[in-house]
Amino acid sequence: MRQGRADEYAEFAVARAGHLYRSACLLTAGDTHLAEDLVQETFGRLYVRWGRVSRAENPAAYAQTVLTRAFLAHQRRRSSGERATDVFPDLPGAGDGDASLRLTLLDALARLPAKDRAVVVLRYWDDRSVEQTADVLGVSSAAVRTRCSRALGRLRDLLGEDLSEYARP
Amino acid sequence: MLGTDRPDPFEDRLSAALRDAGDDFQADRAALVSAGRVRGRRALLRRRTAVVGGVAGVALAGVGGALVLPADDPAGHDRAGAASAGTPKSTATAAATVFTGDDLLRELKGLLPRGTYGEESARASDHQLGPAARLVYDDGAGAAAIGMGFARVEPGSAQVRELTACPDHNVTPYDDCTSDRLPDGSTLRLYQGYEYPDLRVDTKLWTADLVTADGQHVSVSEWNSPAEKDAPVSRDEPPLSTERLRELVTAGVWREVVDAIPKSPKPPRSTAPRTERPEVSGKSVGDTLAGLLPEGLGVVTRGGQESEYAYLVVDDGRGRSLLQVNVQYGMADGAGQAYAGGEILPDGTRIVTRQEPGEKAGSGVLMWTVDTLRPGPAGFRVVISAFNTGDQNKDATRDAPALTMEQLRKIALSTEWDRLR
Repeated sequence: MRQGRADEYAEFAVARAGHLYRSACLLTAGDTHLAEDLVQETFGRLYVRWGRVSRAENPAAYAQTVLTRAFLAHQRRRSSGERATDVFPDLPGAGDGDASLRLTLLDALARLPAKDRAVVVLRYWDDRSVEQTADVLGVSSAAVRTRCSRALGRLRDLLGEDLSEYARP
Repeated sequence: MLGTDRPDPFEDRLSAALRDAGDDFQADRAALVSAGRVRGRRALLRRRTAVVGGVAGVALAGVGGALVLPADDPAGHDRAGAASAGTPKSTATAAATVFTGDDLLRELKGLLPRGTYGEESARASDHQLGPAARLVYDDGAGAAAIGMGFARVEPGSAQVRELTACPDHNVTPYDDCTSDRLPDGSTLRLYQGYEYPDLRVDTKLWTADLVTADGQHVSVSEWNSPAEKDAPVSRDEPPLSTERLRELVTAGVWREVVDAIPKSPKPPRSTAPRTERPEVSGKSVGDTLAGLLPEGLGVVTRGGQESEYAYLVVDDGRGRSLLQVNVQYGMADGAGQAYAGGEILPDGTRIVTRQEPGEKAGSGVLMWTVDTLRPGPAGFRVVISAFNTGDQNKDATRDAPALTMEQLRKIALSTEWDRLR
């Protein structure tokens, strides 16, 4: 990679690392080790195709797309049993929020199927439209709607209608 | 984000809660970036080695699969060639015909009643994301968005059932839904519902989904508004009646569009055998739970999802009690925090129990939970919760759930669940 491009890549990566990592933590329902792995994988892929990515209209959205697909690919590999490790990650480092409430939210996310979780994270954490979410996941808008309404129903059941206790005042 | 984007307040609250939860995770950004760079360099090295093999297009091939630019990215037009470069071009199944985006729009307009059109957009049949068409149609009574999508699905799969079954009224409110088998073996679902599940804004969404016996999936969606979200309602109802929708979605040309989707639009992944483990069916979860209930409990009603989740409302003669069960795979990695502080059984099964207040609107509601994770890489999880009411949204109807914690534990640990594996 030429120096100018390398600098540009580094600048982009540093700027997006925090957001991508937080997205990955939500996608993995709090598995911080896996989240780190997915973000590194994402940066690796972006590095390889940086020339193209940097010309994309929205490199940040592109990075999020790569991350989401890396997550789903990981889930597929794991569910097919190729991964023999049985990892129990440490508790994520407690922040200044109420850790137990956050864990309840993460636990609720963990109860969703991986694709439903990806839909929730894209729609409600990353503010993507149904169409954009469908494009990221490579499924139809109808499928996104189905998954979304099912996931919202489950989260309502698990967390209650009033989520205010999960948000910081 | 503006609150008005999402008239369902739960969605706004969920966004806020996710942001707060996300913000608590602090990354070592420099470490992530440098580790990513190392991976990228290694991948480039591997790829340069591969290029010696001589396929010119390889230069843009992905590591571990095609990664697609967002659909609205102008740089994406030439990516199809790049994406299929992981294998020699000749092995890609060439589709007989290609429907361009303009073809799709022309066919769609030909099947619509007379009117005016605007905001047209479409993807061709060989587009990596699959063919699609959208336009805003006005029959004179108000502009309305109409969208079509096409895909190839596995006949008889859970995905097909999900596409063609009417949703549970308890989960998604809607006005009407029918799902019928047509004489040619296709299944057609006609659905009249709403864009927003809480009906806060009266944007109606009517859809038709056709899945043929050969797995051709054609879907049409229409709104009574020129956009699916964030646009005012322009008319009382979407423009096409159910009958019109049926005619549109069953038109023969759309099956040709599905057939024109290249058979292998994505290159094979480097991790070759992708035998996805099927999701556990919701029905088998409900059946298993029903079979494990102690004597003397009558099942009042039951329901659940297509996969992984089921509920039963039981009555022991002293009032109703809701039981819900989740059975999932792939939970091993994400489950550390869920089982911290719990018990580990001799066979390696992890178990954690909770007795806590219900989290929904009902007052005095208790939720008793036994959460188990079988050992092994599959991450097989069985979670059961019992409530002292038959409906979490309503007040408690009894002092305690109909099952004791010991009974819940026995059910969750039953080997019957392993039959679903």
